[in-house]
Amino acid sequence: MVLLHILRKLRRQEHELRTLVLGLDNAGKTTLCKRLLGEPLNEIAATLGFNITTLEHRDYKINLWDVGGQTSLRSYWRNYFESTDAIVWVVDSADRRRLDDCAKELHDLLQDERLLGATLLVLANKQDLDGALGPDEIRDHLRLHSITTHHWRVFPCSAFTSDDSLLNAIDWMLDDVASRLLTLD
Amino acid sequence: MSSAHLKKPAAAPPGPGSQQQPPVPKKSMALKAQSKRTVTEEELMHKDSITPDDVLRLNRFTQEYLCGPEANLFNIDFTRFTIRDMETGMVLFEIAKPPPQDQDDPAAVELEPEITDPNAGRFVRYQFTPQFLKLKTVGATVEFTVGDRPVSRFRMIERHFFRDQLLKTFDFEFGFCIPNSRNTCEHIYEFPQLGQELVDEMTANPYETRSDSFYFVDDKLIMHNKADYAYTGGRN
Repeated sequence: MVLLHILRKLRRQEHELRTLVLGLDNAGKTTLCKRLLGEPLNEIAATLGFNITTLEHRDYKINLWDVGGQTSLRSYWRNYFESTDAIVWVVDSADRRRLDDCAKELHDLLQDERLLGATLLVLANKQDLDGALGPDEIRDHLRLHSITTHHWRVFPCSAFTSDDSLLNAIDWMLDDVASRLLTLD
Repeated sequence: MSSAHLKKPAAAPPGPGSQQQPPVPKKSMALKAQSKRTVTEEELMHKDSITPDDVLRLNRFTQEYLCGPEANLFNIDFTRFTIRDMETGMVLFEIAKPPPQDQDDPAAVELEPEITDPNAGRFVRYQFTPQFLKLKTVGATVEFTVGDRPVSRFRMIERHFFRDQLLKTFDFEFGFCIPNSRNTCEHIYEFPQLGQELVDEMTANPYETRSDSFYFVDDKLIMHNKADYAYTGGRN
């Protein structure tokens, strides 16, 4: 398993990361990707498939796979798990009504063995909205402390209004993936 | 809608290529394939189905199409293509298929004056300025829709030639596509600077830079689109 992963890594471009961006619909996944790439944020429609983009940051090429989060699309997420280095789980921190749903989807996802070892970055998004829960509350609602199979961390952000803290979050994710690969070497 | 009614064929990436292969993941595969016995278009025409390995062994651009429009069993439809300069973020080129209600309006087809021959469903002619060949990094975004069947292992192989010289092979696997989905993918192309001599030749010989775009599902050819390129824009 580990060896296979290393072999896959060697075949791919050095410092290229496959990152899955997932979460419930309307969590802000596409907005996040566009923010990271410096693209305009107007007219973002529901993603009814995937958006693949590449973020170049530090020495890394981060391939972002943003897959639509509507209920009907979630059963297809597993088709994108192979070779994943990191998962960015985006949460609408103001959508309290669906936090249980959000927690369930996340924990279901983490069961899949193809994602074993992948770094988990949880973004408590939409901090600009009234009633948004803070990162600690999101952590508790999502029961992140029960996760033992993945390195995880939660960061607050508002992808729509600013990129403050987003880069910190991405840096943490990169460092975590890099340390894991170095350890394997 | 049948793919035969495509008004805009597949997005072709920017024309400039490199004599060196860029460090893309499948580079070594492509190079290996090239070192294998080359194959001619005529040989491939006799095959029932064409594989990625087959087209990687072609050593020149094609004269014909290696599959018919009916091979597109998955109803994959390219709907938008954008090129931006990664250094400035500026959009250099954009072409979109008109939304369904406009498709019978012939005027809607000609969104970009550079595009000619809009009725040939699988062919696009690009006219760029000579500066295009000087770009270092561009991002090319394709948007495509998928019919009501799931698509597994969707892969694109694109080969760029100037005359009979292979400039660049681009190979990307989109992987799985959700039924009835609309998907986008941005590729970052990095171009080592082309030699001035080659740039001059490519500029002086419009439409002798060509590309073949081959699309596979489960290693079987399902679409073949072509483009040619001129770098004389802005001169007349």
